[in-house]
Formats: sequence, C-alpha cells, structure tokens
Amino acid sequence: MSTLRREAGLALAIARKDALAELRGRHATVSTLFFAAVVLLLFGFALGPDSARLAAAAPGLLWLAVVFAGILAVNRLHLLETDDGALEQLALYPVARRVIYAGKAIGGFAVMLVLGVVVLGAVGVLFAVDIAAAWLPLLVTVVLGTAGIAAVGTFYAGVTVRLRAREVMLPLLMLPVLAPLMLGAVKATVAALAGDPFGELGTWLQLLIAFDVIMVVAGAATYGFLLED
Amino acid sequence: MPQTTIYVSPRSLGAHDTRPPAIVTADLARLFAGIPALAGVSMRVEAGRTIALLGANGAGKTTLLRLLATAIRPSYGTAQVDGLDLDRQADLVRERVAYLSHATGLYDDLTARENLAFAAQMLGTPDRSARVDRALGDVGLADRAGTRVRDFSAGMRKRLALGRILLGQASLVLLDEPLAALDDDGKGLVEQLLAAWREVGVTVVVASHATERLEPFLDGRVLLERGLVAEVSGTGVTSTPPSPAGGPRPAVATR
Repeated sequence: MSTLRREAGLALAIARKDALAELRGRHATVSTLFFAAVVLLLFGFALGPDSARLAAAAPGLLWLAVVFAGILAVNRLHLLETDDGALEQLALYPVARRVIYAGKAIGGFAVMLVLGVVVLGAVGVLFAVDIAAAWLPLLVTVVLGTAGIAAVGTFYAGVTVRLRAREVMLPLLMLPVLAPLMLGAVKATVAALAGDPFGELGTWLQLLIAFDVIMVVAGAATYGFLLED
Repeated sequence: MPQTTIYVSPRSLGAHDTRPPAIVTADLARLFAGIPALAGVSMRVEAGRTIALLGANGAGKTTLLRLLATAIRPSYGTAQVDGLDLDRQADLVRERVAYLSHATGLYDDLTARENLAFAAQMLGTPDRSARVDRALGDVGLADRAGTRVRDFSAGMRKRLALGRILLGQASLVLLDEPLAALDDDGKGLVEQLLAAWREVGVTVVVASHATERLEPFLDGRVLLERGLVAEVSGTGVTSTPPSPAGGPRPAVATR
C-alpha cells in the first residue's frame, strides 16, 4: 500500500510538472483550442444553416475535433521532455517506468479534459444542441473518451518523441487504435443527446471503460521499453 | 557564490576495503547503427576513487558513461555497479548513480527551485524543501531560485544540474565534461564537489578533454581510443585487454 501511495505521489508530481510547464508555456492549450475551434467553424460553414442537420452532425464533429486536437496536445506535452535532454533525465530517476507513463498520461488527460469540456460547450453553441439537458452522461462520455485518448497518446508520443517526423507519425499510429474509442464516444454522445431512448448508452460507456482499462494497462506495461535506447 | 562546505549525502557506504568495486565491466560494447561506439571495455574501478576518462572526440567516453548511467543498454558484454548487474538490476543501479551529461535535463518553463523540487521528489530526497534550498545555495544560485531556467546561461544551467546531483544519495557520480561552459567560479565549484565526494567515499568518473584543473583530485586515468582502453595509469583502476570472443572491433562511431 505504501508503495502504491508513493508511486501515485510520483505520478502526480510528473503530471503537476507537465501542467505547470503547460500553464507557463501554453504550448498545448492554445494551439489545440485554436485547432478545435477552426475544425468546428469550418464544418459549421460547410453544413450550412440547417439546424437539424447541424445537430445531427454534432456528435461526430465533437469527437473529430477532440481526437485531432488531442493528438496535437499529447505531442506538445511530450515535446516538453525534449528540453535539453529532459526525457533521458526523467528515465534516469529511480522510478518505475509505469509511474512515468501514469504521470504523463494524467497530465495529458488533464489538458484533454479541459479541451473536451470547452469543445463540448462550443458544439452546444455553434450547432444548436441542448447539452444542458444531458450534461451528466455527456460529461461522463467526455471524461472516458479523453482518458482513452490520453492513454493511447501517451504511449505513441513516447514512440515518436525521438523521431524527426513525429508530427506525421503520431496520428498515423494513433488513429487506427482510437477507432473503437471514436465509435463508442460518438454513439454514446448520440444516445445521451437523444435521451437514450433505446437504453444503449450504458453499453457504449462500458465499451469506453473497457478500452481505457486495456490501453492504460498495456501502456503502463510497455512504456519502459520506449525509454530505453 | 557557493557556500564554504557543500552538503553531499551519499547512502551509507562503509569502509573502502569492505565495499565491492564501484565499477566492473567485461567486454562492454555498444553499437549504433551497427557501428561500435564502444568496442569492448574491460575495467575495474575501486570504490571511493576519482577516475578521469580521457580520449579524443569519438573515443567512447560519453558512451561508456551513458552505459554506466543506464541511459543506454549494452550491445555486448556485462557491467556491474556496486556489485549490481547493469542490465538485469537497472532499477537498483539508478538509485546509486548520478549522471551529469552534456544536456542538463532541465525544464525551461520551470524555475530553478521548481526543477530541483521535482528532481528531489523523483529521487525520494528527505526534507525536500530544505535540501533544495541548500543545494541552490551550494551551487551559487540561491538568488536566482525563482528564475525560469529558460533565462539561464549555459553555465548557470550546468550549476543547476550539479545541484540536482546533490539532492540524491549516489555512491557513483558520472560527470561528462563538467567544466564545459563554466567560468572560473563554476570550475571552483566542481573542484569543491570533487573534494566533498572524495571526503565521503563517493566514486567519481569524469570524462574530460582538459583535466589539468582536476588533476589534484584524480586517483587514476583511463585513456580510451576508438572505443577501447588504450592506457591506464594511477591507482584505483585496472583494465584487461578485450577477450577475443568479446565485442566487435571495426570502425568506431561518434556518439
């Protein structure tokens, strides 16, 4: 138990460090929010003023914006570790590799959760969707969805952080893996916005939970190999 | 300015003659893209000694230090630090080794104090806040504790990286060109640190092109040439020729 508490403290310290650096530098937040806003606005213009059409497309566009902006965010957060050999130094601390993974994933999740909530609000305004009526299931969906993106993104950002073409490679690696998450998140959002008439919301949320658990366990177990040269 | 007595806190080390050798390597080799940067080094460094690694660019000094720090894994051969296998017990080795590389490993957007506080937490340093303040004072950065590292000069960054080493309990300190980028005061700080580590029995390996200033603190010297030990002198370090079946021998890469 004391080992678990110590490791949780260390993971939170890594996440806090990332959050502090992000607050100071705003490397991820500004660029990802701007990117998400551009995606939503462009699709809004493309779909036209028909409010029914906008509302029908809203769940897909919400997750399109969150996933692409999330990929950008996780890449930016890992770039912090390229500061003057910081990733190598982080790997040299006498800390279990799963702790480093957990810390980076928690930091990424925090940034993406803020991003997800802001994008959800923007979708509500821009696409005339009543998110207030289903705020709790929508929030749960956003929490589970962004947690999955952070879990996958942290792992693959570790794979690509040393590559010159990392901005190209990261989405190529992440998007196929995120396909089940995107399906579950979009379906859960559709069900939540419709008031869950067919009682399927729980099933899609279970899919998201299963995805998150599998990805966190797999990421924590294998992240150490990425830190070795 | 650094305080007169630098606080170093090694793990309980015991008498020199009862400790295992600090470093034992056998045919240690590392290849990058198939080209050996280190081509089979067999050496033994006794505990508590200060050893210089000498050699031209590309001789393998940095690669040897990175292998001993567990930053990279060997391609061939074995190595032990304090009797612990570098490959199979890397987690335990990391508790015993501190490494100052060419890169400082600092976060630009954090202040000097925040950088050291983060390191102290990762290292499990007791009484963190006081130790961080003490380390900042010891490396002469107490008055810049609240400044972001982004605004530091190369010399100040190196001082702060040296301060990070003071937060741990290393029994083996690996320094890669520690005098580079430092002014006279900074070089004096490195001399003070070498004296303090010697006093408490910490083993130090220094890779450097210019060891004139460090000469009074050195016990032994190892000259590397093209990834192999070419010459050993002084006390506290011995080397044997690579075994015929050991690592690779072709052309040597720089890393």
